[in-house]
Amino acid sequence: MEKTKVIVGLGSCGIAAGANKTYNKIKQLQEAENLDFELKKTSCIGMCFREPLVEIIDETGSYIYGNVDEDTAVDVLEKHVINHEPIKELVVKTDLFDTPDNSFFKDQVKITLRHCGYIDPESIEDYEASNGYEAIKKIADEEISQPDVIDMILRSGLRGRGGGGFPTGMKWKFALNSQSTEKYIICNADEGDPGAFMDRSLLEGDPHAILEGMIIGAYAIGATDGVIYCRAEYPLAIKRLNIAIEQARDRGYLGEHIMGIEGFSFDIYVKEGAGAFVCGEETALIASIEGERGMPRKRPPYPAVSGLWKQPTNINNVETLANIPWIITNGPEAYSKYGTEKSKGTKVFALAGKINNSGLVEVPMGMSIRDIIFKLGGGIPEGKKFKAVQLGGPSGGCIPEYLADTIVDYDSVNATGAIMGSGGMVVMDESTCMVDVAKFFLNFTKEESCGKCTFCRIGTKRMLEILERITEGKGEEGDIGKLEELAYQIKDNSLCGLGQTAPNPVLTTLKYFRDEYTAHIIEKKCPAKVCKALLHYEIIADKCTGCTVCAIKCPVKCISGERKQAHVIDQELCIHCGDCYSRCKFDAITIS
Amino acid sequence: MTQSLNILLNGKIVSGKPGETILALAERNDVHIPTLCNDPRLDPYSSCYVCVVEVQGYRGLQPACSTKIMEGMKIDTDTPRVRKARKTALDLMVSNHYADCVAPCKETCPAGVDVQGYISLIEKGLYSEAIGLIKEVNPLPAICGRVCVRPCEAACRRNLLGEGNPVGIDYLKRFAADKDIEAAENHYKPEVAPSTGKKVAIIGAGPGGLSSAYFLQQKGHQCDIYEASPQSGGWLRYGIPEYRLPNDIIDKEVEAVTELGTRIFYNKKFGDDVGYAELQERYDSVILSIGSQRGTLIGCEGDDAENVFSGIDFLRNMEMTGQRYDFSKKTVAVVGGGNTAMDCCRTSVRCGAEKVYVIYRRTEKEMPANPIEIHESKLEGVEYLFLTNPTKVNKDENGAVKSITCLKMELGAPDKSGRRRPIPIEGSEFDLEVNYILAAIGQKTTINFLENVNQFSQNGELKANRWGDIDANPATLQTGIPSMFAAGDGVSGPATIIEAIAQAKAASRSCHQFLTNQPIEAEKKEFISRKDNFAKQDPKNYVGRYQEQLRHEMPTLSPDDRANFNEVELGYEDEEITLEETHRCLECGCSAYHTCDLKEYSTQYDAVQGKFEGDFKEYDVDYSHPYIEIDNNKCILCSRCVRICKDVVGANALGLVDRGFETHVAPSMGNSLTETNCESCGMCISACPTGAISENVNFKPGPVKFDTIETIDNIGPEGFEMNLHHKAGYFMQATGRKGDVNKDGNISRQAKFGYNYLNDPSRITKPLLKRNGNFEEITFDQAYNIIAEKIKGVEADENAFFAGARLTNEELYMVQKLARAGAKTNNVNAFHYMGRGIGYGQNAMANVPFDQLQNASKIVIIGSSLNMDHPLVNHMIFNARNRFKVQVELVTTDEECGLDHKVDRIHRIGSYYYFAKAVNYYLLSSGLQNQMFINDRSLEYETYKSNLLAEDFDDLFEKSGVCCIDELAEFAKSFNNEMNGVLVFSEKEVSSNVCLELFNTAIITGKLGKTAQGIVALKEKNNSQGIIDMGACHKVAPGFQPYDDPKVIQKLKMKWGIDDIPTNINSPYKLLKENKLKNIFIFGEDPVACAINKPEVEGWFEKLDFMMVQDYFLTETAQKADLILPASLPFEIGGSFTNTQKYLQKFDAGMESAIEENSPQQLINLMEKLGVNGFANMEEALWEVFTLLPPPADPETRKYQLHSTGRDNYNRQFNHGCDIVNKRFDDEFEAAFEREE
Repeated sequence: MEKTKVIVGLGSCGIAAGANKTYNKIKQLQEAENLDFELKKTSCIGMCFREPLVEIIDETGSYIYGNVDEDTAVDVLEKHVINHEPIKELVVKTDLFDTPDNSFFKDQVKITLRHCGYIDPESIEDYEASNGYEAIKKIADEEISQPDVIDMILRSGLRGRGGGGFPTGMKWKFALNSQSTEKYIICNADEGDPGAFMDRSLLEGDPHAILEGMIIGAYAIGATDGVIYCRAEYPLAIKRLNIAIEQARDRGYLGEHIMGIEGFSFDIYVKEGAGAFVCGEETALIASIEGERGMPRKRPPYPAVSGLWKQPTNINNVETLANIPWIITNGPEAYSKYGTEKSKGTKVFALAGKINNSGLVEVPMGMSIRDIIFKLGGGIPEGKKFKAVQLGGPSGGCIPEYLADTIVDYDSVNATGAIMGSGGMVVMDESTCMVDVAKFFLNFTKEESCGKCTFCRIGTKRMLEILERITEGKGEEGDIGKLEELAYQIKDNSLCGLGQTAPNPVLTTLKYFRDEYTAHIIEKKCPAKVCKALLHYEIIADKCTGCTVCAIKCPVKCISGERKQAHVIDQELCIHCGDCYSRCKFDAITIS
Repeated sequence: MTQSLNILLNGKIVSGKPGETILALAERNDVHIPTLCNDPRLDPYSSCYVCVVEVQGYRGLQPACSTKIMEGMKIDTDTPRVRKARKTALDLMVSNHYADCVAPCKETCPAGVDVQGYISLIEKGLYSEAIGLIKEVNPLPAICGRVCVRPCEAACRRNLLGEGNPVGIDYLKRFAADKDIEAAENHYKPEVAPSTGKKVAIIGAGPGGLSSAYFLQQKGHQCDIYEASPQSGGWLRYGIPEYRLPNDIIDKEVEAVTELGTRIFYNKKFGDDVGYAELQERYDSVILSIGSQRGTLIGCEGDDAENVFSGIDFLRNMEMTGQRYDFSKKTVAVVGGGNTAMDCCRTSVRCGAEKVYVIYRRTEKEMPANPIEIHESKLEGVEYLFLTNPTKVNKDENGAVKSITCLKMELGAPDKSGRRRPIPIEGSEFDLEVNYILAAIGQKTTINFLENVNQFSQNGELKANRWGDIDANPATLQTGIPSMFAAGDGVSGPATIIEAIAQAKAASRSCHQFLTNQPIEAEKKEFISRKDNFAKQDPKNYVGRYQEQLRHEMPTLSPDDRANFNEVELGYEDEEITLEETHRCLECGCSAYHTCDLKEYSTQYDAVQGKFEGDFKEYDVDYSHPYIEIDNNKCILCSRCVRICKDVVGANALGLVDRGFETHVAPSMGNSLTETNCESCGMCISACPTGAISENVNFKPGPVKFDTIETIDNIGPEGFEMNLHHKAGYFMQATGRKGDVNKDGNISRQAKFGYNYLNDPSRITKPLLKRNGNFEEITFDQAYNIIAEKIKGVEADENAFFAGARLTNEELYMVQKLARAGAKTNNVNAFHYMGRGIGYGQNAMANVPFDQLQNASKIVIIGSSLNMDHPLVNHMIFNARNRFKVQVELVTTDEECGLDHKVDRIHRIGSYYYFAKAVNYYLLSSGLQNQMFINDRSLEYETYKSNLLAEDFDDLFEKSGVCCIDELAEFAKSFNNEMNGVLVFSEKEVSSNVCLELFNTAIITGKLGKTAQGIVALKEKNNSQGIIDMGACHKVAPGFQPYDDPKVIQKLKMKWGIDDIPTNINSPYKLLKENKLKNIFIFGEDPVACAINKPEVEGWFEKLDFMMVQDYFLTETAQKADLILPASLPFEIGGSFTNTQKYLQKFDAGMESAIEENSPQQLINLMEKLGVNGFANMEEALWEVFTLLPPPADPETRKYQLHSTGRDNYNRQFNHGCDIVNKRFDDEFEAAFEREE
């Protein structure tokens, strides 16, 4: 009989929720009580909203417990591990009985995330035990040629998951056809979209899959060196990658004559990112690796022809690479059976914002946005109305509720004006101001502009200034026209994707929520009651008890009144901070 | 591969080269695409996005600078979409361009007089040029310098400093104008175009009419002015009293108009004395500049009383009649607060009035009159009744004025003019007893010729507008009659002189368009960036930032001496005071005004600074580097400076800091460029498309439109083409010019920043003879006689001649001929090379042409200061490294040097000489030599080999100081195996024997005479090579031929037509040391100042009987001379230099010589004095050299000689190439950085 396993999820999300304490508590108990179970670590399974997660596998099956703090851990150990009585109400996922959270997993198809949350990412044995490095072995054993590997990827229909959606096989083909003795493969792990954490989860949860994907890619295009350009803000990912690289070298998956393939030598190192969003753009990324300021340059030449150190270079995103070993092992057809006509396979999304189940989900291409948000994501908290979803990060756009039946594939999403992007899905409810959202994303791109080209450097700043004016109640007639004019000019005349897509959040919100802009500009009102400068606070005399709390706390002392008498706000002085509103215990303050 | 691509460019099929960018293709096909970030010297960058074009099938617009053409591409460079994008790019750029193109003074001037420009010229004493600049838009500077209302001074930013007064702009203008008038015959005269045959009648000889005539006459149109009065000037003469504007000043400025050909007919009133029918028949066009002639009375009850006049009638009558009013014992009231009121009250004082009141309804603060006028009038005793308004004139029994009833006022809310409105105070009436009332409250235009004109007009109608002024298009000033234009008060209503001049400029421009059948359009508004568009200028940003300096006030007549009409203001006392006042100018306008690309394109594409209003960046200007000024406010982040510094210079001293909107250029890793690897080469300046990086000059840079001299660098040996920019001989800038040697148009540090000596007023221009220890001017002929006598007075070989490396080939040749043929001595040499061996001679014959450096596979620099001594070669090498990936290695004896951070590998050694020898030994002893090359192309190989191998290798190795044998071996082998290896070294750093051994290395490794391999040997001075080639050396004859060769001597005898040619070969160095010389003649060298062992050199000269020096300045050597000849600058005489690669380059004289008999002429005359047939010109001298040259060797078969050397001979005697020009720059450079520290 196999030993019972206790597995603690130690991804960044878990650790943030206190998983280390939980792990230590379990370990401490195990040692103190001399308990006979195997304590293991794994990474995030995607249920970030239930972290810390602890999985217990005994002879009856797997039980994942959610929100396991130190006390709960003691309970679970005692009842489940020692007494074999699972605490059903704390289980969030199991195949043995239904749990309220089972719907989160029901419609997911885990290819990319196949190992995340299941194996110990710091253990190459775990990876190997789950068919790891089988794909490269298969290539070596069956002597699959470079063009044949590329052909498999082409047939799988895999498209770049970094956002561009360019067919991966085509990219490899270009790189293979570029003649040079030196070639590079780069893994772009500079995930920077606000609200996106797919890559981090993968890097933390399944680093060997990325390495294997790169090794296969290197073989296919004839690369000699690989670089993982990982954002420095992911220390755990970097640590695990370096451990994995060491292990892979030890086992001969990296180095000279890999798997005995004649002339195939390849190694990988991790380069920590420079902390700039634009370094996710491939030419800026290359400049950054070369030690230059991370600024894009005009393409062509594309990196496939002249990339790192002016040599042919192939750049793939983390998620793309994670799919590669699976495709080789299971065959391209197994992959392409998922998805739509032009978008094959599965896609990982990071659910964030106003959603109950924020976390990572992997679904087949073709699922509707509504299903993802409501079936997997559990809908909107506090029963509020679903308003829109921002897809594709700052380069993407807002899709309104009435288009929520749009299915996720590259072309359908593009048709709405948003983009698939890397898979960030930020959900907004009725209390979200769309002008404010546009301002948020534009502020992000403005801050992250590298400053090189005129339109992006100054244009985004000017657009932001107009949005700021609008949300401050200083909008003027004609501002929408100015915004649109600038937006199209910036899209048309920017050097890289950052600038070319920066206006998208503004353009899509203008497209779907124009009336909100008009309300701000003409009526000087923020319908979602978010833009402070446009809010009008008033005390309802009937409800005011004269408790004086608001008057005491008001930072500009603009509320006056006798104790136990109705108070009044001096509208001239009010700075619309909302402090009184949130402090009033008698709902005596209205906002309009 | 396809040899050419078919491209559809703007609908035309053109052929493109593979790899070419759209920008380059367009340029070749004369399609101009604007760009700010592209620099042909650098890789494309694409940041400005001004060069965008439409390419069919591409998403978005494409930057032409970095988009490569492809077969069948369809490109449109000028569509509405493209224009819109370019305009938006420029709109965005200028929305964050917190800078002034022009200073507020010029901006405010109605005529747009370039105040900052003329102050810059006045600073340099260029008064006529200053007047020329003013007269481009204002023909009356002496008049305006006295009586202009000076909106410029009100706008002057000096006011923000709180010193009380703006720059004395008008005082400076007056000073320059008076100087120009004093220059009499030499006063400034504009060019007048050949006659067009067109004639223009101008009505009125006031400022508008005179100005119109001045501008139109220059265009070649005959102008006739019809003036109703008996004299010229209009209100200038008849309205402004003489104590402010003397009539002779008016006469002078009118003369400056009439001398261009304009005629003035007096006493001809339009409509009365001369009718339109006549004008229409005789003239092609008419300009009406009739002025506002009618004064307004007070407009209250009783103003018809006797002795109540309009102020202007009062003033005019006196001027017309020449009779002054007698106001003695009378009381005069002047009503009004403008300048006419001032003229009336001050004139009344001068007419003897006992009491003069000025009655004004507001307070002094609101008075429109010039404050100085108010001040002066008070000094003269005028009494002011402010907040007072006349309501009634009371008559005596004879109907004459007896008193005036006034009402007190108080100030209410501001009115439309911004001034507070006066409101009467009820019941405050009072009476003032007066004898005369002068109303100075306004003028009206009288048009009584409308009927006459319209009666005869064949086309159109002349109208009056609702104010009673002439109706004309406000922009073009064309009236309802197409051939008739109007300017001045007559069209604008009463205004200022400068406004009338501005209108005359516009009207005459339109008139010229009319006369030349062009469409009549007002001048296109150029784009002007203004700080005021962003923020009101705040005194706090000025106070403390600029040095305080109080204004030099205008000296005036003492108030006691003013009972007359003598001019009260006396003008600045002298040039010193004037110069000091120019220093108060804050130079608000941009010195790149005439060259800024951003401004040019912004004008072209109608960019608007306020289109995208918002946040802007404000930076302090960085003056911390003595030669380079960084003004980030003007930066558009094209990064050309950053990139050129990195990719071409290799210094990487500038970088981009911060991100997004905050991005700016800053010194890398330091607060100041002086703390970085900056080499002060100035390449960043050459790359800047705006005025963001500019030269930090010690004079006011203008902006000034330069005159340009195309010449060749006269400091360094590369022989690069360059331009010197000056205004009337004051040099203000040096720039590179693309040429044969200088393919990129770069310029060296020395040339870029070293032109100051050209402005040195101590330049010698006359021969000077020392008498009793003082130099006295003598004539050239006296000088030649003295020299000839001295030469003849001693044994031939007691004379010696020295010719410097700065001289032209022609001069060098003449000096040696003067010595050998004239003085019959072979004692000719250059201190430059004295005592340094013969090894420098042959290097030049096998140099790698500079433009092949980028094709090298490895470049080895031997030395440590190439970047400072030879910046251009440095740039070429590091451009090759950074852009073409050429390996660069450094071999240096220094522990650390300025090249360390730029190269791929460093070999630190102890001795260049032993290192080279050890390498050669190693190669030969290991049998690694390129034997095939040696057999075919070398001479004396065996001798060299046996000599070298006889030496002790261990000893050579040890003395070389190289760390280990492996490094030496690796260096030798890898250089030997290099496909295209180049050795680069300079004579400044290595001895002549090192040169020989490195030459040997190149032979042994078989690299000479081949493409992109061999040596680059750099000489020190612009014409060091010329010294050798022209035979200015006791060992060589012209053509670098051995002087001991009888065949050569024979050739010289034949050519020179003489028999007694000297054949002694004495070393002048030895002769000097042994004091065997009696006379020496030095041309263009300064051995005393440049000596390494100064006492020794001074010792040589002290023993002499006679010493002659030819130089620009009183150098230390010249001070020791008995006779000094003035020297010409190269660009004053033209000629030729031979560069360090033996490339002979001719250049023309670019400006007149400052010296009556120029340097070559002096040599020609001296030769004649000694009985040698001189030359007619320099050309002949060079021609004679050519006839003496040996037949040229075939570069394919030329043999290279190996030289055995015995020891290192680093025996340098002089620094700075022995030239005061180089020394001066080196000293200035060092001092500039010492000051910084």
